[in-house]
Amino acid sequence: MSAKQIARVLVLGLALVNIAMAAQNPADIERDIGNKVYCQCGCVTSLNTCPHLNCEVKAEMLKIIRAGLSQGKTEPQILQDLVDRYGEKVLAAPPPHGFNLTAWILPSVGLLIGLFLAVTVVRRWRGPAVQRTAPAGGPPMDDSVRAAVEEEMKKYVD
Amino acid sequence: MNQVGAVGLIAALVFAIYGMITGAVAGKLRSPRILKSAQRAVLGFFAMTTLAVISLEYLILTNDFHSAYVASHSSRKLPLLYKIPVLWAGQEGSLLFWTWLLSIYVALAVLLNRKKNRQLMPYIIAICMGVGTFFSLVTFAVANPFNQLSLATASGVTPYAPPDGNGLNPTLQFHSMVAHPPMLYLGYVGFAVPFAFAMSALMTRQLGDNWIRVTRRWTMVPWMFLGTGIVLGGQWAYHVLGWGGYWAWDPVENASLLPWLAGTAFLHSVMIQEKRGMLKVWNMVLIIVTFFLSIFGTFLTRSGIISSVHAFAQSNIGPWFSVFLAIIAVFSLTVLFLRLDFLKSENRLDSVISRESGFLFNNWILLAAVLAVLWGTIFPIISKAVENQTVTVGPPFFNKVMVPIGLLLLFLTGAGPLLAWRKTSFQSIKRNFVAPLIFAGVVGVILFFVGVHHLYTWMSLFLCAFVAASIVGEFYKGARTRMKSSKENFFSAVYNLTMRNTRRYGGYVVHFGIVLIFVGLAGQAFRFETQGLMGPGDILRAKNYLFRCESFSSGQRANYEYERVSLAVTEDGHALTVMHPERRFFIAEQQPLSHVALRSDLARDLYVVMAGRDPVSGKAIIHVIINPLVQWVWIGGMVVLLGTILALIPSRIERQMAELHKSHAEVAEAQHVR
Repeated sequence: MSAKQIARVLVLGLALVNIAMAAQNPADIERDIGNKVYCQCGCVTSLNTCPHLNCEVKAEMLKIIRAGLSQGKTEPQILQDLVDRYGEKVLAAPPPHGFNLTAWILPSVGLLIGLFLAVTVVRRWRGPAVQRTAPAGGPPMDDSVRAAVEEEMKKYVD
Repeated sequence: MNQVGAVGLIAALVFAIYGMITGAVAGKLRSPRILKSAQRAVLGFFAMTTLAVISLEYLILTNDFHSAYVASHSSRKLPLLYKIPVLWAGQEGSLLFWTWLLSIYVALAVLLNRKKNRQLMPYIIAICMGVGTFFSLVTFAVANPFNQLSLATASGVTPYAPPDGNGLNPTLQFHSMVAHPPMLYLGYVGFAVPFAFAMSALMTRQLGDNWIRVTRRWTMVPWMFLGTGIVLGGQWAYHVLGWGGYWAWDPVENASLLPWLAGTAFLHSVMIQEKRGMLKVWNMVLIIVTFFLSIFGTFLTRSGIISSVHAFAQSNIGPWFSVFLAIIAVFSLTVLFLRLDFLKSENRLDSVISRESGFLFNNWILLAAVLAVLWGTIFPIISKAVENQTVTVGPPFFNKVMVPIGLLLLFLTGAGPLLAWRKTSFQSIKRNFVAPLIFAGVVGVILFFVGVHHLYTWMSLFLCAFVAASIVGEFYKGARTRMKSSKENFFSAVYNLTMRNTRRYGGYVVHFGIVLIFVGLAGQAFRFETQGLMGPGDILRAKNYLFRCESFSSGQRANYEYERVSLAVTEDGHALTVMHPERRFFIAEQQPLSHVALRSDLARDLYVVMAGRDPVSGKAIIHVIINPLVQWVWIGGMVVLLGTILALIPSRIERQMAELHKSHAEVAEAQHVR
């Protein structure tokens, strides 16, 4: 088995363990939903972090979540209940449809364009390093000598 | 004193305009006489803004409620420690404070460059004073802290002073709030100086490496302040807001992160220009972006254009800042475009696998992070403009987008320094990477077997181990070489090695601090929280901790009333401590606030909040959070600060070079005299 295959198996194994660990109880689901929605009292924080004492809006939102849980609804269904009540702005992240898709796509597109530019720049920069290589016909540099030179250069050029 | 402050502010504006014009004229005519006049204008600007700041502080400390600003943000019973920060607690004061900090930076730039960089200084003064003109003008015309309260009566308008002020927002009455805003502002403001150096270098065509070398410290200082300010802000949020976290991807938090990320990219990429004469245009773009984002950050923080938990600043300064941001963009990009021919790269890349490429990819990731944070921050405005729809972009979005970017960056933090300049041979890669990877692999396996199964958390800790091992390896290899050549013991070798090249080893210390911060961030995956109603004798369990309610007490302090619960805490059955979460009610401000009880050690924080009283049972609502590894975030922040200070200290090589230059100059001067 190659190193690449071992790495793949390891990542897959970790992902499976991760999924297995994701099974949650109602309190965890409530906390998860609380992180995924914003309290609509105007505090501009998630439901779980609303700083207001005895916040009535928070209490109302928690009531909707608990009602959903007691009816056996799933997390997406409860989130939809909250959207029906308060609108999409209740969600702490824009739902990935319509124009909102650009919110999710643009960072990845930016990342890819940046990578493309970086690779292009590196390719353009790569020139024949004629001036800096050893004279043609000279003996090839021994690895230990090269390592020593690199080590020495580090002291001065960093 | 109100009039004195007002006069100081007007005089500062006049000096700023004069300095901007004379600086530009001195640059154009190359006139030392006009330059001298511009330099004096800078000192005048500093003196007048200082006068205005002292006047406002005097009004605050003497409870002069004729001042609208003092009446809005202070009160008689506010403790002295919190009266000083009233200066930057409101819009008007904070803009004045911004202007004052700018005047300090510019005055220092002028004083430290009296005999240096003579060609660059005129335009540096002109640009900094241009920024000073904008801030003094906004402070004077839109957000004047020296406005007085008055009453319109039948007999005319008469001065008015309420018996007491509205007080300071209770959430700002916390010790780190005294230092957090000045640190952030020192960061934001300070980027004006390297920006001015860059623009001046372009305008005067002095585009050698000099401006880069000179501005390195002028960039590192604000970068250090901004980073420290961000960490202090996190501490404030953690201690005051009562939700047990320190970073919520709030727009105002993001506003401070953006210039820090761009500044980080700049600090890395300037090294390529210094060593290899490459990336000249890119470095200009980066410093422009950094300065632009620092003004943009101030705009976001102060304008209230985006809904934020920091909703202390709703105002009409938005259009002013929009115009100023447009001016910065048009001016700087035009100057850059006109000088593109002078910014040709001096070298080619020898190999794709090299330190240069490492820095390029580091820049790629950092700029991708800037784009992602900026886009997420402004997306609600764009969505409103395009779709007329209100959306929220909060932690779930940023965590999804930023965690992979952060992990890539962490990898490059460790891998970059292991690559050699110009070209890295395969043998060298093998030699440098094997030990850190083996160490990280062992740590990764141990983590997996002790129960770290969350993928991102595992990867984060794996990479932390890799980076830490690579840093330790760099110190070890350098020290070993010195031990062989100089017969020093290990500790002397490490010390001498570091002091010989403070920049390089200071940088490693900064990287190590970042590793510690990532360790702290990874701890969030194991956060545990629970909540319960507690009366005397009631017990709340949180993992292996038991919290037993002992008693309630109440009382009054200078500016607030409090109600306190005493909780005896046991860990695995052994008495650990007694914790006292409080509920406070600030009298002048008429606002309640929770005072968190904390017990911290390196492994975890016990974080207890008294959220209030249950209206039915009358019992206290107690919220307990077990927060693993949080202390490492603060320790990491300290290490980053120390590493930056270390990198700012001139290294032995630099000092030797400076002495050499000095002696050469003396010899040349002596020959000239003869």
